[in-house]
Amino acid sequence: MTLQNLSRRSFLAGIGITGGGLVVGLGLQGCSAEAPPTFTTTDFAPDAFLQITPQNEFRFICARDEMGQGVSSGLATLFGEELDVDPTRFDVSFPGVHSAYGHPAFSGIQSTGGSAAMRGHYLPARQAAANVRDLILEAAAQDLNVEKSKLSTDNGEVIAGEQRYPYAQFITTAQSLPIPEAAPMKAPEAFRYIGQDVPRLDAAEKSTGEAVYGIDFDIPGMKYALMKRSPMFGGSVNTFVPDDIQRMPGVVDVVEISNGVAVVADTFWQAKKALDQLNIEWDTAEAAKFSTADLRADYQTALDEQTGSTTDEEGDLALAFRNGDTQIEVDFWAPYLAHAPLEPMNAVVKVENGEAEVWTGLQGPPFAQASVARALNIDKAKVRVHNTYLGGGFGRRLLATHVAEAAEIAAATGHIIKLIWTREDDIQNGVFRPASLMRMKASLDSEGTINGWMAKRVGGNILPDRMVGALPVVAPDFVPDGVLNSVVGLADTAMSNWIVDGSSVEGLAGDYDLPNRVIEHVTVNHGLPLSYWRSVGHSYTAFAKESAIDVLAEAAAVDPVELRLNNTRSNPRQHNVIKVASERMKSMEAEKVGSLGFAAHSSFHSYVAQVADVSVQGSDIVVNKVLCVVDCGRAINPDVIRAQMEGAIMFGLTAALHGDLDIADGRVVQSNFHDYPLLRMNEHPDVEVIIIDNDEDPTGVGEVGLPPIAPAVANAVFAETGQRLTSLPLRFS
Amino acid sequence: MIRFELNGQTVTTEDSPDTPLLWVVRDTFKLKGSKYGCGAGLCGACTMHVDGESTRTCILPVGSVEGKSITTIEGLRQDGELHPVQQAWISHSVPQCGYCQSGQIMTAAALLEHNPDPTPDDVEAALAGNLCRCGCYPRIKAAVLAAVDATDAMEGTS
Ligand code: FES
Ligand code: FES
Repeated sequence: MTLQNLSRRSFLAGIGITGGGLVVGLGLQGCSAEAPPTFTTTDFAPDAFLQITPQNEFRFICARDEMGQGVSSGLATLFGEELDVDPTRFDVSFPGVHSAYGHPAFSGIQSTGGSAAMRGHYLPARQAAANVRDLILEAAAQDLNVEKSKLSTDNGEVIAGEQRYPYAQFITTAQSLPIPEAAPMKAPEAFRYIGQDVPRLDAAEKSTGEAVYGIDFDIPGMKYALMKRSPMFGGSVNTFVPDDIQRMPGVVDVVEISNGVAVVADTFWQAKKALDQLNIEWDTAEAAKFSTADLRADYQTALDEQTGSTTDEEGDLALAFRNGDTQIEVDFWAPYLAHAPLEPMNAVVKVENGEAEVWTGLQGPPFAQASVARALNIDKAKVRVHNTYLGGGFGRRLLATHVAEAAEIAAATGHIIKLIWTREDDIQNGVFRPASLMRMKASLDSEGTINGWMAKRVGGNILPDRMVGALPVVAPDFVPDGVLNSVVGLADTAMSNWIVDGSSVEGLAGDYDLPNRVIEHVTVNHGLPLSYWRSVGHSYTAFAKESAIDVLAEAAAVDPVELRLNNTRSNPRQHNVIKVASERMKSMEAEKVGSLGFAAHSSFHSYVAQVADVSVQGSDIVVNKVLCVVDCGRAINPDVIRAQMEGAIMFGLTAALHGDLDIADGRVVQSNFHDYPLLRMNEHPDVEVIIIDNDEDPTGVGEVGLPPIAPAVANAVFAETGQRLTSLPLRFS
Repeated sequence: MIRFELNGQTVTTEDSPDTPLLWVVRDTFKLKGSKYGCGAGLCGACTMHVDGESTRTCILPVGSVEGKSITTIEGLRQDGELHPVQQAWISHSVPQCGYCQSGQIMTAAALLEHNPDPTPDDVEAALAGNLCRCGCYPRIKAAVLAAVDATDAMEGTS
């Protein structure tokens, strides 16, 4: 999607359909603020996803948001397979809000995350495309007066005997026919594109600077806004003096909105310079005042003294610990983290005549629609959203508070607004991966069986915070804010007292045969806004669980990989990735530079095992190489899977080696990449990926490569130095 | 008024001289390929060539490029052909979110200009200042080295 065709589409969609030719029904139902982009009257648009032009060009409307995970290439492959069109021929665009684009794996909510696109769309996408192909064949049979069974297809052409005809030749007839609902799909043996390294569809426009992100979208007359928000969580504006600022070059307005103060100017730089001069006195009566050390002490007290909610219990743990030969108990810490996608938050918003139009890149356009509708107190149907490429998501772009800010500024000033968060805003005013303190107790019997397993996690829950953003999407417009907020409040209370957000404890006990186990959770909430962060709870639970396994093996003087193999017999796919990785690990022994560490963890319905080759130079941990074995069911595009494993390993290494977000007196200490460093080119390990070939339905790849890397490195550090590091990021004390 | 050369064309701007070149190029000249990632010279997303040198333009006042020649990702094509680095990027499916890639490519192209035969270590050192949150590093490195080979092969045949 380039700037040019983004505007062309918006334009065409905006003016509606004119000119000659047939008006094509979109086959769409349900409430809609907008239909998907419609190009010309002569295009054939059998459903919400595919359009065939009279020139036999293929347009694909991608229901899931492209944040780098390769979903547009993956979904295009599913559609291309059953339509029988080379997916690289698709011209891809991204829709606004429409019920047709709901996620099959998220109860129909139009959002992208949870490594769920291939899992959710594998059958529905193929069925939709197979239906369209069948329709084309039916139309061809009529037009050519040939029996349908005598026709076949090949890459966008119908084949009748020696003759080839472009699909487009039959779209006029196809428009008059009913679309079949359950046309036969291909048998896997007949797949031409699924399972192949189809080149990424977006590689060219992302290598030429043509790809359009939210930050690139301009409208004539648009003004730039930058903001100051309370540096302390929960603070609010007390006073500020706008007069001097208002006289600075280019400044158009200085306005207070619910979240802080915005400076609006003709250019980014003018807004930035003026904002830097703006002094705001903050009201800190309600603000957080704690520091990381206080938080950690509170967590420790809760861990030692409080009984939490039991989220999972099986067998007789006390008996098991009495019967075991070897017992261990270790506490693990993981800090708050920022997502830091390389494109900071931004949005362009136009508010006019009680309606709003939004251009931004989000993991779900409905979140923007709902937030803006709430902020402006208008119906969701009056908010139209255009989604662009996302310069990174990782969970951060599930939130649309920045879009609501832009809408408030646009409404307050009467200007079309492009709001840009600076990197400092992103690190300091964002939402965070929750910090966690975890206690792991395990017992091993004389047979080498883990006969007791106890895990307890202390920390905040994401779900109540996320409900603030998600509830308005599903709630009807007439539900007042107060009611929504009280529902959210109830959820928060419920999670503190009775139930647990599953994502807070996910991964603490999975994978192993654990006949006697207890998983406990103590909610301690310090009021920081929390959100999903690539691999969510698994990003810290895998560190505790897989480190604990190695600690247990060490204590019992058994091989840690054997221990894993012995205790995954009821989990054959996890057992298998461990086995495959352990075999490759044997040959890595001869190639290694430092020492090897092993970890395995399943998440998002996929199974992963990793081996890290790690050296220690002074106080630096150097990761030389990572082997990653993944079973994610049928591989739709092996090269995208490899890329996601590589990327998740780098993302996980940033967290394992560098990621630390400190709070001091209620504010985030770090502010930019000098003190919140990301892994760099010169630190990256070589990555080898082995994809298990199988016929299971496809499962997640975007997040699953991340959880095992921190414990694999920690286990390798132990092998290399004899020091067991139990806090993230991994540092020698 | 400040005058400089942008992708081979002489341009002038009335933007105040302290405005970082990045914003002048993006918002005055509407070339959006160069990105804002940190505004502090820490990530490389804004990298352009200033008189052939790869430069962080989010902290480079436009007043300091008077009379200089600026190349952005949009100007990297040679005779309408993609630069060998860009071709290697596409054939290796390097980009994920893609946001860092203009900066990566501009840094890589400048490296090859100065050092036509870099070692893997040279590539890592040259690109150490270009952050990629998506973690495309293994492919970036492979693509730069492939671009070296492609350039060698082309020169070998000419
Ligand atoms: S935006 Fe210039 S170095 Fe980050
Ligand atoms: S591709 Fe996303 S930051 Fe590099």
